[in-house]
Amino acid sequence: MDVKEIYQKYRRLVLGVISLISLVALWEFALTYVITYDPFFFTTPSYIIVAAKELLLGDRLWRDLAVSSHAFLWGFSAAVIIGIPIGAVMGWRRRVEYALDPFLTGLYASPLVALAPLIILVFGVGLTSKAVLIFLLSVFPFIFNTFSGVKSTDQLLVNVVRSFGGKERHLYFKVILPSTLPYLVAGARLAIGRGIVGVIVGEFFASSEGIGFAIAQFGDTYRLPEMFVGIIILSLIAVALTEALRKFELIIAPYRADMEIR
Amino acid sequence: MVPYIQARNVVLTFRPKNRDPVTALQGLNLEVGHGEFLSLVGPSGCGKSTFLNVLLGLLRPDQGDLQLGGKKITGPGYERAMVFQEFGLLPWRTVLANVELGMELKGMPVSTRRQRSNELTNLVGLRGFEHHYPHELSGGMKQRVGLARALATDPEVLLMDEPFAALDAQTRDLMQAELLQIWDRTKKTVIFVTHSIEEAAYLSDRVAVITSRPGRAKKVLDIKLPRPRDYEMRLSPEFNDIKADIWHSLKEELISKGGSDGR
Repeated sequence: MDVKEIYQKYRRLVLGVISLISLVALWEFALTYVITYDPFFFTTPSYIIVAAKELLLGDRLWRDLAVSSHAFLWGFSAAVIIGIPIGAVMGWRRRVEYALDPFLTGLYASPLVALAPLIILVFGVGLTSKAVLIFLLSVFPFIFNTFSGVKSTDQLLVNVVRSFGGKERHLYFKVILPSTLPYLVAGARLAIGRGIVGVIVGEFFASSEGIGFAIAQFGDTYRLPEMFVGIIILSLIAVALTEALRKFELIIAPYRADMEIR
Repeated sequence: MVPYIQARNVVLTFRPKNRDPVTALQGLNLEVGHGEFLSLVGPSGCGKSTFLNVLLGLLRPDQGDLQLGGKKITGPGYERAMVFQEFGLLPWRTVLANVELGMELKGMPVSTRRQRSNELTNLVGLRGFEHHYPHELSGGMKQRVGLARALATDPEVLLMDEPFAALDAQTRDLMQAELLQIWDRTKKTVIFVTHSIEEAAYLSDRVAVITSRPGRAKKVLDIKLPRPRDYEMRLSPEFNDIKADIWHSLKEELISKGGSDGR
């Protein structure tokens, strides 16, 4: 295999890495040699790397991450457990859809983080408030994606299963569930992003620990390199979760493996 | 003697919300003998497919009587299986798993299912594609899976709803020949809906011409071609006469519809 072939095979990875490295290099170069800046308001990759090393070796960051993950896990699990059944019933029963739709659409469209002060008022400062906020933000993608998945189930396939003597429960497990699965995964992807927003906002408002609190605190104390480390770690976590989800989808729905490329 | 399948005065009206009701079938009468290959031809939207769905038990007629082997049809049953025009394969299942669907729903044990789905996959010429997913198959191969799936539960009656309409001409010819072979071997009763006069004439013992909506069986023609049939027969003058007969019967229907699709 020559260089050209290797490039063709790993084009996606190669180009992605090159563009990322270039951007970081440009950032470093521009702020070191071209633009003079006030380190109070901005920083460069080299400072971030130094800060990252320090934070990763200490234990504060890990404690914060553990606290945040704890809240995320509770809120996100609740969103899965509550969102999917609501969406499924809405998709399958027209009356439920009509009854819930205006209410849910309104909530989905509105900036729910605005409710954060109220939630803190009700649930107090701490884990519960954060989990509730994460739940509120991440439940809607589950509801709406399950809903559209169930709704867009191919009627032909429903008829096929019926024609071979399939009962109602067969329709659920042999047609509706598998055809909704890709929608669920897509919903989970959105929900991860929104859930992380929930963590941050929750910790900005009502916490004395957690990665969101850490970012806010570093910001408030002008420790910009440390703040960037927090942000970068959050986006790495989001990417890792999304990728894990994609792998998971390929395991539970292998037929989609080469459909996705198109 | 009571015919194997008997439809008497079947009436079915669709009542879509916010639209005018459409009478799809108006007093349809039809008899089908055991082991017979009967085709239904008619203009688009004449209710042929609707009638097939009534026979399958997915649609309930407003009036009339449908009997199969002396028993009233009240819903889907294992003695009937449908081959669908758009294949209706489950995209998340491999060829084998798709073939097994009906057997699974019938509650057959796994070992029997595996063995039978392997046999049928061979029968329809899909050896080597057992573990492929539907999106990896051509149209013809998909319909072979559809046929194998329908045969898997060993039904008495195969209902075929324009099964080859979505295929290209050559694949279609090939599938017709294979269907005849399989029919000859398995002795199923086949009710076959098609647009194609040629296809109906080539495959069938009898061809029923259905009137434009509301559908009724206008005329039933006997196809007096010897069996087994081969492709050469399509070139014979007799075959052309048969096609002309069907065509004449159908022509009035097409004219009365003004050639519109009506949907």
